[in-house]
Amino acid sequence: MKRVHTFENVIINLKQYWQKKGCLLFEPYNSEVGAGTFNPATFLRILGPKPWHVCYLEISKRPRDGRYARNPLRFQQFYQCQVIMKPAPEDIQRIYLESLEYLGLKLREHEVRFVEDDWESPTLGAWGLGWEVWLDGLEVTQFTYFQQAGGVELDITPVEITYGLERITMILQDVSSVFDIKWNNALTWGDVYRDNEVEYSKYNFESVSTDVLSSLFATYESEANRLFGEGLVYPGYDHTVKCSHLFNLLEARGAISISERVKYIGRVRALANQAAALYIRKENEQTITSND
Amino acid sequence: MIDFLLEIGFEEFPPHFLKPAAEDLAERIELLLNEKKIFYRSIRTIYTPRRMGVLVLGLSRRQKPQVVEVFGPPKRFAYDENGKPTEKLLGFMKANDLKPGEVRTKRTKKGDYVYGKRQIAGAATESILRSNLASIIAGLEFAKTMVWNETKVRFPRPIRWIVALLDRKPLRVEYGGVQANRYSSPNQHFSFKPIRLEKPREYINFMRHGGVIVDPNERRKIILTRIRQTADRVKGRPVYNSEMIEEINCTTEYPEVVAGEFNEQYLILPEDVLLTVLRAHGNVIWIKDTNKYLYVFSAKKKALQNVKVGNERVMESRLYDALFFYQNDVKSGLHNMFIQTKEMMWLRELGTLYDKAVRLECFVELFKTVQGVDIEALKRAALLCKADLMSEMVREKEFTSLQGIMGGYYARASGENARVAEAIGEHYLPRFVGDKLPVTLAGALLSIADKFDNVVGAFLSGNRPSGSNDPLGVRRNGYAALNLLDVHKIDVSVMTASGRIQELYNRKADDNLLTEFLHERMERYLQDKDFRYDEINAVLASWEGNVPDARSRCEALREFRDRPEFSRLVIGQKRVRNIIKGVESAAAVDEALIKEPAERSLVQLHAKLQPRLKTMIKGKDYAEVLKLLLEMRPAIDKFFDDVLVMCEESRLRENRLAIVSSINDLFSQFADLSRIVIEGEKE
Repeated sequence: MKRVHTFENVIINLKQYWQKKGCLLFEPYNSEVGAGTFNPATFLRILGPKPWHVCYLEISKRPRDGRYARNPLRFQQFYQCQVIMKPAPEDIQRIYLESLEYLGLKLREHEVRFVEDDWESPTLGAWGLGWEVWLDGLEVTQFTYFQQAGGVELDITPVEITYGLERITMILQDVSSVFDIKWNNALTWGDVYRDNEVEYSKYNFESVSTDVLSSLFATYESEANRLFGEGLVYPGYDHTVKCSHLFNLLEARGAISISERVKYIGRVRALANQAAALYIRKENEQTITSND
Repeated sequence: MIDFLLEIGFEEFPPHFLKPAAEDLAERIELLLNEKKIFYRSIRTIYTPRRMGVLVLGLSRRQKPQVVEVFGPPKRFAYDENGKPTEKLLGFMKANDLKPGEVRTKRTKKGDYVYGKRQIAGAATESILRSNLASIIAGLEFAKTMVWNETKVRFPRPIRWIVALLDRKPLRVEYGGVQANRYSSPNQHFSFKPIRLEKPREYINFMRHGGVIVDPNERRKIILTRIRQTADRVKGRPVYNSEMIEEINCTTEYPEVVAGEFNEQYLILPEDVLLTVLRAHGNVIWIKDTNKYLYVFSAKKKALQNVKVGNERVMESRLYDALFFYQNDVKSGLHNMFIQTKEMMWLRELGTLYDKAVRLECFVELFKTVQGVDIEALKRAALLCKADLMSEMVREKEFTSLQGIMGGYYARASGENARVAEAIGEHYLPRFVGDKLPVTLAGALLSIADKFDNVVGAFLSGNRPSGSNDPLGVRRNGYAALNLLDVHKIDVSVMTASGRIQELYNRKADDNLLTEFLHERMERYLQDKDFRYDEINAVLASWEGNVPDARSRCEALREFRDRPEFSRLVIGQKRVRNIIKGVESAAAVDEALIKEPAERSLVQLHAKLQPRLKTMIKGKDYAEVLKLLLEMRPAIDKFFDDVLVMCEESRLRENRLAIVSSINDLFSQFADLSRIVIEGEKE
């Protein structure tokens, strides 16, 4: 009997696979993010000398990529499966390829290409080297060895593997549009998300209130600064992430000019760098205390 | 004879670094073998996206034996007064295994010494390779590297295996935490099981079975053959160049080609857009004027159908986006975008894109006398040239490279005339060193204007280049503007141009710095045209900013400098410069104070030639100018031979200095010939 690769099964299988590889199964972050990298389970945990292996689902929001549900492959919101292995195992590429086989893909019947793509997040002061992974020409994963985060060189090199779940499922189910993938045996992805896509495209491109967002940005920014001042890493970082999303919305609206853009990015990065520095300082203090 | 294989295996390498790195590695291995005098018959460079290495066949097992001279005691201690060997000499002979007939003496700086020739057996190739391989790998240089494990070794991508096989024996070499062995990795679409290599000669065939064509030349041939075959099958002409083929070569281990198709509705997209979409999706080759393309992949042939379908889906999505943007933009129209430029900052402190466009529109008035220019079209193009930056297409990262080009299309679609559209379409050219130049005059003029505006803008906004830092890339801009002024023989001075732009900014830049910058760029430009630095110095000494004119003067100098009488002219000019150095004499020559015949004839000649020279310079006939100056040489020589300029009597002296000075002024109208370096003269 042919196994049905429903969207929810793909999620379950992938989590199961990485659990077997020693990852802690975590859950999505509770605020809007552009990528799983923003989740503290990545951004903060890749700092410092402690090993960390984690796998979680993340809803990635990219306001600029909305197409009013008219492009079969582009949306302003999609599901990521985020894996962090710190330190990166020597055979991590093979572990990754075998995860695709675990999902039901036969590598001999497809092409998996690692296309050079050095990842950089100017807002997080982070960069790494790696690839986009193309499955039969479709980008399904971002594979990155982080080198720096929050402006800090990393002690241990982690690997980040970010799967685009809808796209992988599309290939597994052999359909041409993400809207047509079966979420379970009764409903498609389109049934669940089409209206959401249309409305959010309208919101992102047409209805966003620039003034409200700019003032929210300033408010969250000053809150983050205040919280970092009180030595609160996690609450301060949460506000940093909010600023980052507001910036994405403003940009999608076309409300930010080229030079303003650089300024905004610099402001978010300044916050992210503070979070990183504070996190590392606290980690070190803890290590010293536990050594006593 | 033995063989050697080195293969460094890694995760997929950045394609642009691959070929040079592999060639560098092979060169270093060759250098080592030559330096250590290890014979070999052939060496082959190997690279694929996941490995680079060398295959050396027919190596000798050891270095060539070396003959060395070994020195013993000084001659006077080596033999006693009877000429018999001393104990010292005998000890030396024994230690070096020398027979009596093999000892000779040689005169050295320190006196006469005995010596002998001794043959030293070469070291084993194995130990030489073993002790040098790690440092050879470490010596490879890359623009961008990473760390991936606790060794903190840097390389473009993680090293995962190393094969170092000397005949049947793996060499004990370690690099980046990887121990070399005899196992290589196949194409991962074929298998994960490592390939065990008994000896280097098996390498190429064993790897082929594992889905890896390791020889880049063989792979390139396969790629080209497959492209041709597949294109023939769809009866079309593939559009590619050698650069694209090399990139494909560096991203495939086992090339297969599949033909794909996209919906014909996308053929209404401008060709530039279509090609941008196709090429952004690497390894794609368009079949000209059709909705077909070829895609080169690196997996099993069995994957062909999936690869075709998958790629077509991606292409559909990307083309959909492109068409979506394009149609929205055409609907909105260039004039609408133009209005939006009022709200888009160009650079902080320097105003909006609209401000820039208005500045350019006024600036191009400078070109109204340029022959063949349609000034109204040029002004219109200047005003509209930045509007496409507001288009949905250009704002999308994938299509930013189409700035200007899209402006051209949208101008046409909005009913602007062809000259306006063409000028907009070309005004970013050249975008990089070696890029094509604008074809139309209006395109070139608009490009010059835009680049001047960028240069001056950088100086006004604290972004001027210094050292290796050039935040706005204006060195390239400046150079390109000079290049275009030269190519189109435009007589507008760069000083005038930069002054005009500053007026339009209504701000003042640091004139010294800006002039220095323009001089430096001009120097560089002329150097690239193969003029010698002294020719350039001579011409730029009194440069007023006319680019083609400076070039013509350099050309005249180049043509004349080898004539024998030219060097005398230069020497005369150097004397003139030396004498008037530090003298402030602006006085006119007083006929009444002329005493010597040589003085008189020089002054008369000057008076006679001055108007002719003026006409020639005006006519830019610099060969004639130099001929004329050469005519003056005997009179100048005679003047210096017969007349003492720095004489006692002050009124005579002043007058003679005025004569010398007038000669200098005459020459300076062409160039400062005293800067020309004459053969045999010390700089």
